[in-house]
Amino acid sequence: MNARAVTSDLVLGLVPIALLIAGWQALVSFGYAPLTLLPPPGLVFSRMVQQLLTTTFQLQIAATLFRLFAGFSIAVILGVTVGLAAAVSPAINAVVRPIVRVLAPLPKVALYPALLLLVGFGHQSKILLVSFDALFPILLSTYYGASSVEQKLIWSAMAAGTPSWQILFKVVLPGAAPSILTGCRISLVISCIVVFLAEMITSTDGLGHVLVTAARTFQAVDMFVPLITISLLGLLLNGLLELLRSYLLRGFPEA
Amino acid sequence: MTKRAAPFLACIGLLVLWQVASLALKNDSFPTALEAIRAIPAILGDKDSLVNFAASLRRMTIGFGVALAMSIPLGLLMGRSRIVASFFNPLLMVIYPVPKAALMPIIMLWLGVGDFSKTLVIFLGVSLPVIYHSFEGAKAVEEKMLWSGAAMGLSAPQRMIRIVLPAALPEILTGCRTGLVLALITMITSEMIARQSGAGNILFNALDMGQYDTVFAMIIIVGAMGIGLDALFERIRAYLVRWSEPQFDIPLSFS
Repeated sequence: MNARAVTSDLVLGLVPIALLIAGWQALVSFGYAPLTLLPPPGLVFSRMVQQLLTTTFQLQIAATLFRLFAGFSIAVILGVTVGLAAAVSPAINAVVRPIVRVLAPLPKVALYPALLLLVGFGHQSKILLVSFDALFPILLSTYYGASSVEQKLIWSAMAAGTPSWQILFKVVLPGAAPSILTGCRISLVISCIVVFLAEMITSTDGLGHVLVTAARTFQAVDMFVPLITISLLGLLLNGLLELLRSYLLRGFPEA
Repeated sequence: MTKRAAPFLACIGLLVLWQVASLALKNDSFPTALEAIRAIPAILGDKDSLVNFAASLRRMTIGFGVALAMSIPLGLLMGRSRIVASFFNPLLMVIYPVPKAALMPIIMLWLGVGDFSKTLVIFLGVSLPVIYHSFEGAKAVEEKMLWSGAAMGLSAPQRMIRIVLPAALPEILTGCRTGLVLALITMITSEMIARQSGAGNILFNALDMGQYDTVFAMIIIVGAMGIGLDALFERIRAYLVRWSEPQFDIPLSFS
């Protein structure tokens, strides 16, 4: 694909976004929607810039990010460990597989009341919910990535005299890396969504709480600001993960 | 035989674990598994709660159905035409990390707390993974099959239905399964935010009123709903794609 094709794709891609914003503006300007219900896009974005510069709003973002990263890290560590263990040991697999089969389709938000009652209204319940939700995509993709590592690679490592626990870290883990990172990417988006929802349900700070407060006082402008902020955060984190991925997978043929 | 029984054993194991944990903790707000199970008949026998469940399921079915009907054609078109793909891709990328259930307060302002806003939220939540997987599925269709179809005189719409749709079906169904899990999650969350009817309404009202037995019984019921719907979907999927190689048997759950 040459550079011109990329640019024309990009321009074409911007059209629907521009149309969306134009449609939004038109709804307001032609008076189809009252200002109190649908503030014009300009007002929302200027309000957002203004909010981003205040310390209180930055603290809310920090609270959300802290929960997001804490939950996501737990999910990554647990998911990769259990996934690898299940892939290399049939005994562990026999235990983990049915449990995952039962827990993966469960709507985890329904567990949130239980978490609230068990560990309280602080950080822990939200972090636990995030890690519980983010765990399964990582676990499953680690498992499938590790079980599809080529047997010949393991045999050659054994023939070269690598002890078996080193094979795990030198052959299986790097071999499963592309799949693990795909799982991480899915989980990251999930974490963004879940941390926001958990903060909407019960919280005293965080972006979700900002939205709920605005909704209770019918401040339509302030309702859009946290929503757009969390989406931008999601895009930003996704981009960072993409950078990390291309760094970690620099030796792979088509990653 | 053991393969079939394994998920049941896992369920029983988890319930036993719960029972032991609650006996060990002796916390008032953490009833034992047996107490929670004993509270289930009271909920299922009550006419009001049955009406609520029916309302939840109806919204979910409509939202899920409409989302499938619109997302699969769009995803397939995106997969086969580069122009359509580059038109929609950036927009979808921006929308993807938005927590759909968090749109509920804003949609409520415009459309009220009724069925329509909740169904709309479910629709939005289900659409994206289905579009994404249909897109990936249609992109991977072998060109040679399309050329042969064209050489034998199939028109473009015919090729879409006779070749692309069946070839992408396994991938589409993976997306549908993710969508199903998401539909449940958005259903519960939307009902939690606009408490007017539904299973999420019962769950979170019980939490606010401190009826902990009901809370945990509802968690079991909602969990069973998720597992049951997933198992049902798996049956349908196995029937529809009985010609293809068995793929991952556990869905990557988004939430």
